[in-house]
Amino acid sequence: MNELVQETRRYFLGRCTGLSLGAIALAELTGNMFTGNPLLGGNASAGVDGAGEPGFQGIPSLPHFLPQAKRVIFLTQSGGPSQIELFDEKPDLIKWAGLELPESVRQGQRLTTMTANQKQLIMPTRVKFARCGQSGATIGQWLPYLRDVADDLCFIKSMHTDQINHAPAMTQFLTGNQLPGRPSMGAWVSYGLGSENQDLPEHVVMISKMQRPSDQPLYDHYWGSGFLPSRYQGVKLRSAQDPVLYLRDPDGLPRQLRRQMLDGLADLNQRRGEETGDPEITTRIRQYEMAYRMQTSIPELTDLRDEPEEVFELYGAESRRPGTYAANCILARRLAERGVRFIQLFHPDWDHHSRLTSWCTARCRDTDQPTAALIKDLKRRGMLDDTLVIWGGEFGRGVAGQGQWDSPEAGRDHHPRCFTMWLAGGGVRPGMTWGATDDFSYNVAENPVHVRDLHATVLHLLGIDHQRLTYRFQGLDFRLTGVEPASVVQSILK
Amino acid sequence: MNVRYLVAIATACSFAFQSLLFAEEPPRFSRDILPLLSDRCFACHGPDEQHRQADLRLDLRQDAVAQAIRPGKPDESEFLRRVLSTDPDEVMPPPTHHKPLTADEITKLTQWIEAGAPWGQHWAFEPPVKNLVPPGRHPVDFFVQARLDAEGRTFSESAPEHTLLRRVSFDLTGLPPTVEELHSDLTYEAHADRLLRSPHFGERMAMWWLDLARYSDTDGFQADANRENWPWRDWVIDAFNANMPFDQFTQLQFAGDLMPQATAEQILATCFHRNHMTNGEGGRDPEESRVDYVLDRVNTMGTAFLGLTLSCCQCHSHKFDPITQAEYYGLAAFFNSIDEDGKAGKAAKPYLNYQSMYVDRAVEEAQQLVDQRRPIEASARAAAQGPFNRWLEARGSEITSPYSSWQTLYGTLESSEGTVLTQQSDGTVQASGPHPNQDDYRLLAPIALPRVTGVRLEVLPHPAHTNGAFGRGKSGQFLLTDVKIQVTRQGSSQVRDVALHDAFADYVPDSKKEKLGAYGDIKGVLDDDPRNGWTTQGAPRVEPHVAVIALAEPLELADDERLLIELQHRSTKGDANLGRFRLSVTDQRGPAITGVGPTPLEQFAEAEAVDRELRSKLFAQFLADYDVYQAARQDLDRAEAQLKEARSAEQVNVMVLAEKPVPRETFVLQRGVWDDHGQAVQRGGLAAIAPLEGDQLTRLDLARWLTSDENPLTARVLVNHLWQLCFGAGLVRTVDDFGLQGEQPTHPELLDWLAVECMESGWDVKHLLKLIVTSRTYQQSSRVDEGLLATDPENRLLARGARFRLPAWMLRDAALRASGLFNPALGGPPVRPYQPSGVWKENFMGRFKYIPSDGAAQYRRTLYAFWRRSVAPTFLFDSAQRRSCEVRVLRTNTPLQALTILNDENYLEAARALAKDTMNKPQPLQEMSLRVLSRVADAEELAVMNRVLDLALTHYDEQPQDAINFLTRGQTDVAGAEAPTKFAAYTVVASMLLNLDEALTHE
Repeated sequence: MNELVQETRRYFLGRCTGLSLGAIALAELTGNMFTGNPLLGGNASAGVDGAGEPGFQGIPSLPHFLPQAKRVIFLTQSGGPSQIELFDEKPDLIKWAGLELPESVRQGQRLTTMTANQKQLIMPTRVKFARCGQSGATIGQWLPYLRDVADDLCFIKSMHTDQINHAPAMTQFLTGNQLPGRPSMGAWVSYGLGSENQDLPEHVVMISKMQRPSDQPLYDHYWGSGFLPSRYQGVKLRSAQDPVLYLRDPDGLPRQLRRQMLDGLADLNQRRGEETGDPEITTRIRQYEMAYRMQTSIPELTDLRDEPEEVFELYGAESRRPGTYAANCILARRLAERGVRFIQLFHPDWDHHSRLTSWCTARCRDTDQPTAALIKDLKRRGMLDDTLVIWGGEFGRGVAGQGQWDSPEAGRDHHPRCFTMWLAGGGVRPGMTWGATDDFSYNVAENPVHVRDLHATVLHLLGIDHQRLTYRFQGLDFRLTGVEPASVVQSILK
Repeated sequence: MNVRYLVAIATACSFAFQSLLFAEEPPRFSRDILPLLSDRCFACHGPDEQHRQADLRLDLRQDAVAQAIRPGKPDESEFLRRVLSTDPDEVMPPPTHHKPLTADEITKLTQWIEAGAPWGQHWAFEPPVKNLVPPGRHPVDFFVQARLDAEGRTFSESAPEHTLLRRVSFDLTGLPPTVEELHSDLTYEAHADRLLRSPHFGERMAMWWLDLARYSDTDGFQADANRENWPWRDWVIDAFNANMPFDQFTQLQFAGDLMPQATAEQILATCFHRNHMTNGEGGRDPEESRVDYVLDRVNTMGTAFLGLTLSCCQCHSHKFDPITQAEYYGLAAFFNSIDEDGKAGKAAKPYLNYQSMYVDRAVEEAQQLVDQRRPIEASARAAAQGPFNRWLEARGSEITSPYSSWQTLYGTLESSEGTVLTQQSDGTVQASGPHPNQDDYRLLAPIALPRVTGVRLEVLPHPAHTNGAFGRGKSGQFLLTDVKIQVTRQGSSQVRDVALHDAFADYVPDSKKEKLGAYGDIKGVLDDDPRNGWTTQGAPRVEPHVAVIALAEPLELADDERLLIELQHRSTKGDANLGRFRLSVTDQRGPAITGVGPTPLEQFAEAEAVDRELRSKLFAQFLADYDVYQAARQDLDRAEAQLKEARSAEQVNVMVLAEKPVPRETFVLQRGVWDDHGQAVQRGGLAAIAPLEGDQLTRLDLARWLTSDENPLTARVLVNHLWQLCFGAGLVRTVDDFGLQGEQPTHPELLDWLAVECMESGWDVKHLLKLIVTSRTYQQSSRVDEGLLATDPENRLLARGARFRLPAWMLRDAALRASGLFNPALGGPPVRPYQPSGVWKENFMGRFKYIPSDGAAQYRRTLYAFWRRSVAPTFLFDSAQRRSCEVRVLRTNTPLQALTILNDENYLEAARALAKDTMNKPQPLQEMSLRVLSRVADAEELAVMNRVLDLALTHYDEQPQDAINFLTRGQTDVAGAEAPTKFAAYTVVASMLLNLDEALTHE
């Protein structure tokens, strides 16, 4: 026991730089730190045993209040999906077809250098919209499956961001700041709340396998830990033979021999621990044991053979191909079932500067059925209530055509001033639409929601006050939402 | 609740530690009070004028005393009244800041006001003072001892000799000692001298500097294009090896280009300030990027040299440190007139065209590998002649005219959008019925061949089609956007994708002439992109056309598996679905699937005699399938590619600094926004640190200011870094922040002494390191007992040696050294250590491919590993990210690290080599132990190692194939190994040793 106290304390002291001293002292005195948290389904023994391991229960003072969501599935659509084609219907735009965007609307909005030298001629969408479900949400014809679950979704049509180019915008979207180096949303959440699963990482990332080289690479820092300890960075699940890098033992080293080798390793390490008195060695022994368990738990997780046929029918044909967005959606549900805290999917290639009818539809085809299936699947399993699903990209697209506006070759340029996202489950009001844009889907007309407001809201749903989840780095107390004021979007909460 | 207990816990946690040690002393302003004021008050009542509340500032005594603090009279001080208030609207700091003052802190503030509120400066902004050290005393030990005495503690005993040699070897060269070095009879000091003279010293120091300088071999953003800046890395190694004084080292990196008659090497040094990320994203304004780079240089200088968080001042004056926003932009002005334009990739001027002296060795090494492999390939080719003749003979008796290499596919047809597809007896498929704008056709067919290597598509005109052409659309043309091939299995819900290698067609239109945009080329069907694809529009006649798609690998199907071929018509305009086609497959490789037209065997079937040309085609086809030859061929191909790459490094363009003839004007950027200009500023320094004034100031002046005697920070920051290299943590724990929000030094007098010594010695880095490693403090054992661990868990008292996990790069280097694989060559173009395949590909969807280096290049030090900024080497962990300047050491302990050292090829290959080298020695396990742990194992340890060895031997004796599989990886020569079962068993033990905590740890 003494050894255990040594270990946990050292571990804890090592990571406490971001906490107020009072909080730690208090937690230790009241015993909160080691008793697990009933709200998160922890238990006493897991609390003690888990310190320093992936099952660690997070910061003792968290959650700040009763959480609505226990976990997040973030369906990140990289490249900037067009709100005009997908959700933000503007039927009157047809009157403006081919006319120049009025300066009263544009108000000096910066353009990317790709269209800065081109006239801003309005291109109405070719897409037909329908009012769906009881809620009457507007969803374009390229997302037929999503229409089925419209009443489970909460659309925010008034999202806006500060950045107009991909890398800075995505970095801000996922880390709160346009410059790389801050912890990602998933890192903050897993740092704050820890994991509910002893055998899996708390923050998992999956990237759709695509044939085409995407124009927007997905940088590690999108799911990085920034200045937080690196264990909070997202662990990438791959569709390759090794779902996690280095997970598989080499050929010719059977499991039982691995076990015997690890037993020898533990014996030798144990002796060294006694000689040096360094509790870090005890932690290391446990990390090797955890690694050994992960070698079973992760392949079990990624092996979809135990999923019934109807699941593949629900998620669509592409879900039968490992590595696709659709297959990753099934995996996301499996991760959620196993208590993984933050699950992030990336689907690249939404940067449709041209040929919307072939290009944008291709990405809709990849994602529509599986996304809707995920909502249905979570719902029928009773998991949608405490799982927050987020759908969206780093910015929207502009109303002007890029290229010849009336040609099918035309596309749309980046647009940061408004875009649409949707949330579902996890304490969000279903079947509602929040915020609105002007007649041109150009400016936010009602109830603007900045990216950092979204961050504050997501943390809130997880029981975290965004102002109080901080980490001290270079003398400053950093937080996901940064220094500008951010507010929780109260109106979309249940 | 026991308050004393609470205080003890809280103080053990952080810099408040000191307040426990000096609990009886009255509070000191710079140590006890200023940090509190800074942390709780300055955000609203500090130097930042824009965010100042109630017009009150507490960072200057004059203002504080005039408004809120009555010296000597706590009761009459509004300051204290507000601190003690219970009214949530009145109490300070406001509850919304979530940073309340503790009772202990309030007591200190009260005592301080009672004592007359004495003021002072932040410690780091005062000049360092060199206190007298009694003669004969080692200065480091003198100061550390003083603190230990005050605590009633003593030094730990000295570490065992082998531990010490291991420790100092890692600290000074990043490598463990060799067995010979362990056995040498040099004194400890002589070892230290030897290590400081070793060329590996420069490499070790360079790794520190590269992390700090955010060095990378790629841009970082968007395309993440490659750079050729590695000669700068070698310049850094050389500078450390030559023990270039650190002030000169600084000046050259800031302003080498401004030296009179600057040499190429002096200009090369300035690459330091070009190591920032660059963004060449399509829509980005290059000027915005350029401004980012300028500010990145200022921030890097702040963190690396001054230990200041200057980046805070980009948007507003510093909230805690006395630095104004205008001063920040005064620093930026030094970097604002570089002759650059914000571009990236190959357009990131200014460049230095440079010829590195380290390339020849790399070329020679690569050439040797080619020379070694060429005859192997030639003899493999020669050896294939016999088998080829027999093969050809067999074909001759088997093949009769008419012969086809292709077998037509018959199976179930399906259309996504309702087209009716009917297969005729000759395999032709005809479309009829509905005519959707876009459609996907699927054919699910069993395969009679033993394997599939390629698929052939024939597109066929028909009189019923529009214009008698290929389809029923308006023009009669077809446009095939993508072809997908999959394997389905009966009873399984999942399918597997078949990777495609290439595609060929008998006709490809002139896309430009036909105004097809990206459509036309057959290769477009491979990439899952509906914006490109194949059409024959513009062909002179309507006639059948044919395309062949080569699979990446031969595909074998089980009995219950079927091939699923999908033809997608998803073009932008649509209305171009195929009307009539036929699909067939072949099992032949080589020329049969690398083009259209008759395959070699089809020609063979028709030929009267086999002429030279046909024979060579047939031989090519045979070789494509002859694994023995293919292995030799691929080895040679890789070696040749490596040679080509090394040669291309003979002349490179290094990004450097050069001044524009006419300087740019510099402005304060309001709220840090790149194009929101405020007041104009001139070049200048930071008044609170040291004066730097004058006209015509240059970057050289800035560098001289950094290393001037009057600058209180740079020397302190440097010696703190050097301390961190040896102890795993700095005397100031916040290596990156010497400002008010940073921690205070654990041993202020020692830090100051070293800083002054640094300047007095002429910034002599080797001298300083030698001072540190020859101290008793450094040489202590790292053993710790429970008592010391409880009171000083972080070793702030230095009552023991430092024990911490080595950086990941040292782990790989140490494994290479222990295994005997280590290639000690210095400098040159980057190399690529083993990394699991597909890692780059996943993030870049295939744009970059990582091919591990072959031959001796594989075993170079990690310092030389190619660093792709967006996907750092996967075999490293807790590394600096190299996106911006980072100097903090990260040290975590996770299962993923365990998996890396267990299963990464770098470590597995080292284990194999170590086993091979030692297994036939008289005492193999002791030899391994010496190489990995720098010591012999004791009897109990040997027993454990023997136990694992026996278990492994038992297994491999029973399953000899497992041994072969376990060993057949990387560049290990298994064919030449005798006793593979023994070899494998020793490899298991070697891998275990490389994973020992002791092997991973600085002890």
